[in-house]
Amino acid sequence: MSTSRRSFMVGCSAAIASLGGARFKSLTFGAAPGDDTLVVLFLRGGIDGLSLVCPTNHNDRGLYEQARPDIAIPLSGGNSALGIGQGFGMHRSAAPLRNLLLDGNLAVVHACGMMNNANRSHFDAQEFMELGTPGTRTTFSGWLSRHLETLGLPNNVPLPAVAIGSLQQTSLRGSIEAVNMNSINDFNLNRGPSQWRTQHRSALRNLVENGSSEIHTTCQQALDAVDVVELNAAGGYSPANGANYPGGSLGDHFRAIAQMIKLGLGLRVAAIDFGGWDTHNGQGDNGGGYFSQRVGELSQALEAFYTDLDGSGANDFIQNTTVVVQSEFGRRLRQNANRGTDHGYGNSMLVMGGSVNGGIYGQFPGLATGQLFDQADLDVTTDYRQVFSEIVVRRFGNGDIDTVFPGYASEYVNVGPLGIVQGTDVPISLGPPMFGDSFESGDDTEWDVVVGS
Amino acid sequence: MKPSQMPNEGLRSAPLPSELRRGSVGRREALRSSLESRRDVVETGRTAYMRRAGKPSTFTRRLGAAAPPDLYTIAINRMGYGEINGQRAEWIALGGNETQRFEAYVDEQVYPNSIVDTEYEQKVGAAGFTTLNKNLSQLWIDHHVNGSGWSQRSRPIRESELDQFMRAIYSKKQLQEAMVEFWLSHFNMYGWDYWSVHVWPDVINVIRTNCFNNFHTLLRKITQHTSMLYYLDNYASTRSGPNENHARELVELHTMGAENYYGVGDPLSVPRDANNIPIAYVDNDVYEATRALTGWSVNNGWSGRLNNGSFYYDDADHDRFQKNFLGRVLPPDSGQQDGEDVLRYLADHPGTGRYIARKLCQRFISDDPPQSIVDEAAAKFNQLNTSASQIRETLRVILKSDEFKNTWNEKIKRPFDVVVSALRATRANFRWEWNADDVDDFFWNYDRCGQALFTWPTPDGLPDERGKWQSTTPRVMTWRLMLWMSDERNGSGSHRWDVVAKTPSGVNTAEEIVDYWVDRVLGRALDPADRDEMVDFMRAGFGSSSPLPIGSDSDTDARVRSLVALICNCPNFLER
Repeated sequence: MSTSRRSFMVGCSAAIASLGGARFKSLTFGAAPGDDTLVVLFLRGGIDGLSLVCPTNHNDRGLYEQARPDIAIPLSGGNSALGIGQGFGMHRSAAPLRNLLLDGNLAVVHACGMMNNANRSHFDAQEFMELGTPGTRTTFSGWLSRHLETLGLPNNVPLPAVAIGSLQQTSLRGSIEAVNMNSINDFNLNRGPSQWRTQHRSALRNLVENGSSEIHTTCQQALDAVDVVELNAAGGYSPANGANYPGGSLGDHFRAIAQMIKLGLGLRVAAIDFGGWDTHNGQGDNGGGYFSQRVGELSQALEAFYTDLDGSGANDFIQNTTVVVQSEFGRRLRQNANRGTDHGYGNSMLVMGGSVNGGIYGQFPGLATGQLFDQADLDVTTDYRQVFSEIVVRRFGNGDIDTVFPGYASEYVNVGPLGIVQGTDVPISLGPPMFGDSFESGDDTEWDVVVGS
Repeated sequence: MKPSQMPNEGLRSAPLPSELRRGSVGRREALRSSLESRRDVVETGRTAYMRRAGKPSTFTRRLGAAAPPDLYTIAINRMGYGEINGQRAEWIALGGNETQRFEAYVDEQVYPNSIVDTEYEQKVGAAGFTTLNKNLSQLWIDHHVNGSGWSQRSRPIRESELDQFMRAIYSKKQLQEAMVEFWLSHFNMYGWDYWSVHVWPDVINVIRTNCFNNFHTLLRKITQHTSMLYYLDNYASTRSGPNENHARELVELHTMGAENYYGVGDPLSVPRDANNIPIAYVDNDVYEATRALTGWSVNNGWSGRLNNGSFYYDDADHDRFQKNFLGRVLPPDSGQQDGEDVLRYLADHPGTGRYIARKLCQRFISDDPPQSIVDEAAAKFNQLNTSASQIRETLRVILKSDEFKNTWNEKIKRPFDVVVSALRATRANFRWEWNADDVDDFFWNYDRCGQALFTWPTPDGLPDERGKWQSTTPRVMTWRLMLWMSDERNGSGSHRWDVVAKTPSGVNTAEEIVDYWVDRVLGRALDPADRDEMVDFMRAGFGSSSPLPIGSDSDTDARVRSLVALICNCPNFLER
């Protein structure tokens, strides 16, 4: 596997490697590349990006209103779109996100998706995106797992990855470093006859370590996870800076991630879901209704998370935190008769964090019939992997794009970073064999290329 | 405070006789393994790391035992929910050797109507359920039209949930229940939706009645079911406002599958098979199916309609013009027949046979089943497309294959399987009657394991790959559930996990207790090191073959309960 490239990766993040024996807590306060946490929020169901960020003038505005006589986000009245410049506006319920954008801490990337791999199946599209290999479903591990693997982390990291939810996200498929949990409070083994709990747990530990099958390995992972959470995350948590998380699971989940970031456990990636975006029916007229409520909860959770981490000095966690909001596809330009929208293609991605260069990125391809994909959907002009690759490179110093997104490295070298996040562009490894052993030759320079500024 | 929430100390019985009291040596002995193993962070104060030296980042696929266990163990664990105490004797009576018994067991299980199911029938008869035998219109009228409040509206699905546990644990129709689970997930609906809670028993009845029969019949009944029509919005899909949600999932998930999807493309560019049928579908087929299904709605009391929840075809809402679907013309003005044609063409498509066969093989054999058995099953499925035994015969091909009989531990138990198989093995006294006193506590704990019944929100259904079920939420929360169960008391203070009373007299030493319960729960021997570990746990400092005061000492009894939970929590118990 790609661990054969470790020395190359360590070279990219020598600052971390040299701290291998240090208490991990200190690392989160450092500014070394790679100290970051990447939070990937997946909006399951396909959010209507044209309601989140809509055209407010030019030719596209007229086409937009024409295609969506009932559900277009209006330009006047109580639900009117909030301008963000360049002829675009944000949904009124996303006001907190607009403020973050205007303050330079949130980026909107237009017309993102899987370029050349249009797929209107939720489940295929999500799987392709999370595996990091559009069009190929047989990839064993998720892209975040491979990012973790090639990150050059030192040994003895308590909690490099969390996957919040009932089941581990496909982006972290195959990782045995991830802790998958729904709630910190429930995540323990403090049940059963009390006089034998300790012995039960230690006997269970011995049983799961007495074997190396896949079941044994993943049971070990689970017991490790209980240990990590019990030792580090037990007890209450009070958000800082007056952060106000919304009620409901999304707020709870962001709150838990903030807690884990502040605990200094070496958290590098977190996967989190927020569903309910498959709005075929009654998504809300004139900027109101269901979609508005959903976006309100999303925005409030993101704002609370930002606020919670936005301290100064040693409490400035947001500088090293990047949140990416993505969805499997956008929705049809034209509304359907149930005042909803069917599956589409291009969509907006959001990137939020203290090291984000706020603004609007990507190229909006237009809404005229000839500009639409399949004459129906917003087209894709930015591959979602370009956004993630830039973060992997600039925020984590990980140039092994060829492993993280197999087959995409040379394309990334061609297109380069969009400039969404601050950081240094490290050499990009381009191949050869994806999981081969070529590194043993010791000569990797011929396939490393520096891109970007 | 309910008894179940009392601290254990409050219910401790008299102290141990002095000769059996654990002295300091005994306690040290009891803690030995944890100290020596330097692993228990509570004992040692060590720091824990998810990433540490020498541990890989990602696991590699490494399955367990090379040699599968006996056919009995394979059959009862993969065609159902594990061994219920006493089952092996019935198995042995099925034939003179293992092969004969296996064949007889498969043949018996695919005809559930011939199976005498006394124990389940008795339990369900005494459960106080009032909604499970109602037909669709009775459910609709009693719990929707005349219903008042969520409690009455949702009673049908809550009874279904209890019945699902009761059947999986006590019914002899184990394969039928496995198939109900399979089809419920294949045709997944969010059961707790406002438009499903009141009719849910009918959804399950439709599936249970048809689970071995003809696929097209089942498909048609589900496609026309009020729950599905609401869940995927087709109830409101009209010629002036088509909604493609249902049509898309009908093709992508219910019939041909994404494996036969060519994406956005020209339907004329799709290659054709020997019968001149396109070998795959494209988005345009989804749109044409959407048009064909316009007007397929529900008798929901809208103007001119009855209000009984049955299927209603509204010709005024139907797109009357010609359509082209999967290479065939649907002539203009065909009315409801358009949708019927779509279902027929889909059910008969060879791609549907391959997709359904693959899913069945994935359920019963392995996540990545050999193509040979998928092809064989698909051929049977396609050949019997008009037979009332289509699914039954397809299943027989799969279950009697060498691939089935020689495969073990490619699948793991999901949380429902773990709990049900633990309750089958122990016959522990958990209760599923309506308003059983602590059943809500059970579900509060169970639902955190990741497989709360009827709650999967998206139409793809529950994942059926082990990778999805071996992450830490389902594992830790299922362990925790078993621990909770091992200590739960009913309203009168008795332990529901009544394994002490179920330990036969004469089984007294740590070794005897472990051997008895390992055999009863796992039905196969443990690795000697694992057995030693369990014996060490059970003896807690006493000799392995010294009699323990089982039944007369509350600490010892608690240890037996904890031991049986440990067997249910050990990695081997997850194998199937």
